[in-house]
Amino acid sequence: MTAILRHESRNQLKSTSLLGGLLVAISFFFLAVFPGIREEAEALEAAFPDILAGMMGFEELHTIEGFTSGWLFPFIWVLLIGIYFAYTSSSFISGDIRSRQLDLLLSNPVSRESVVLQKFASLWVPLVALNAVLFIVLVAGSFLIGETIDIFGLLMTQLLSVPYLLVCGAIGMILSVAIDRVGTAQAGAIGMIFILWMLEGVSELDPDYELLGLIAPSRYYDPSAILVRGEYVIVDAVTLLFGTAALLTIAIIIFVRRDL
Amino acid sequence: MTIIAIDGLTKRYGDVVANDDITFNVEAGEIFGYLGPNGAGKTTTIRQLLGLIKPTEGTAELLGADIRDRKALTAAKANLGYLPDHLGFEDRLTGNQALDYFARMRGDERREELLELFHPPLDRPIETYSAGNRRMLGIIQAFMHDPDLVIMDEPTSGLDPLKQDRLHLFLEEEVADGKTIFFSSHILSEVQRVCDRVGIIRNGAIVEIEDIESLLSRSGKDVWVHFKDDVSPETFLTDEMIDVEEADSAIRFTYTGETNRLIEHLGQFDLVDIDVGDPQLDDIFKHYYGDNLVNPQT
Repeated sequence: MTAILRHESRNQLKSTSLLGGLLVAISFFFLAVFPGIREEAEALEAAFPDILAGMMGFEELHTIEGFTSGWLFPFIWVLLIGIYFAYTSSSFISGDIRSRQLDLLLSNPVSRESVVLQKFASLWVPLVALNAVLFIVLVAGSFLIGETIDIFGLLMTQLLSVPYLLVCGAIGMILSVAIDRVGTAQAGAIGMIFILWMLEGVSELDPDYELLGLIAPSRYYDPSAILVRGEYVIVDAVTLLFGTAALLTIAIIIFVRRDL
Repeated sequence: MTIIAIDGLTKRYGDVVANDDITFNVEAGEIFGYLGPNGAGKTTTIRQLLGLIKPTEGTAELLGADIRDRKALTAAKANLGYLPDHLGFEDRLTGNQALDYFARMRGDERREELLELFHPPLDRPIETYSAGNRRMLGIIQAFMHDPDLVIMDEPTSGLDPLKQDRLHLFLEEEVADGKTIFFSSHILSEVQRVCDRVGIIRNGAIVEIEDIESLLSRSGKDVWVHFKDDVSPETFLTDEMIDVEEADSAIRFTYTGETNRLIEHLGQFDLVDIDVGDPQLDDIFKHYYGDNLVNPQT
């Protein structure tokens, strides 16, 4: 029943550890420059027009929480790791169609629904590992530069990012079942997450475009609100979970109906 | 008991008819040959049976499960082995890892026994395998869970002659033990050798379902002989030789008669060299079943 999940989970280990290492390096870099930025934070906040600062999520840049949620989370977590989840899942099915791996896999007593769900479920590996790495690095790193970060706030910021990353994975899954060429699906996944992220940024700038941002997953995850202001918008997280379920359902419908 | 029942199976891709109203049954305990030239539509039929592609019209039953009933078909696959023509293994896995992976989904009670007959280098990554090793690994995974039905698509491609013989012998033993084998191939001689009944497919349609006795009479060899001295074609050629080509002191032809008679005939001439091989199936089919017997486009 779970052979595919086990197998795919093992496949995630290598790229997850590579990305984990990269995450450690980037996080330490961010933390290393924080003491310098803290001095300049006021000037920096003043330099940005309010609207732009709001779009980027800059608040309380002189605190470690404001700095982390304003710089590290939007760029590294929401954009980069979001792209990674979509990119990874975009090759789950598409690569296996061309290489005829699915012919062998589906000669087993396993349904197409189960293939999609088990492959998607293997994202638990990067989800757990990268969250653990980020948490440890941020707590330890803050300590090293003489800061104390709000541990509960950090935990909530990471916990509430899980539905966001799952949506990114589900977007990749749709591309994976719909596109045969793995390179195209992967490029599509990168482009899609980037465009949605941009769309949300632009929609915050101009009220005329505000509705457009509603389709962007990053609309429903605001690290600054959580880490700086302690606002835990559970409705947003639930919306993202429903979005994940809906996207996965679409992916399954496409995959079940198509010729391989 | 009927193991595979195919009923009017049709698959169209736009104007191209890959399978045209295919109908036949495969009974329990037989090796059923599915014989046709490359591109005739054999793999299309098999992939429909496995639910990988959907028929445009018609249907089939595999081990009692209607192929349109996805749930029933999935359950039936516990009792199915499949050796595809193109073996899509995950290439960076070792042979052992690939077998372990499939074993978790359907069991591997006969794995050790099969490894005594076919022995690919199981500790090496599959990406380093030769075509023959890849095929052997495919054979092991198809039989290791001891299924009632095994569907094989070009099973001997890549195998050396010795391994081919071993496979043929193995299949005969398996069928004697009650297994059913669906054996798809474009090589006439191997189908003649191992199969009990044969479905002949050409241009997407079934031309004939034959017993092996009648197929044996429809044999053919691609022969090339080089004479020591010039020989006039009139003295050499017989009615069994078709598609004849002559060049200097050499003649190439497709021989449709009985093998011993050919050897006797050749013995009367002084030969420098000779080559005997399997003919293009399409040429043989043209000879036996006519040129325009099937036209799926109409």
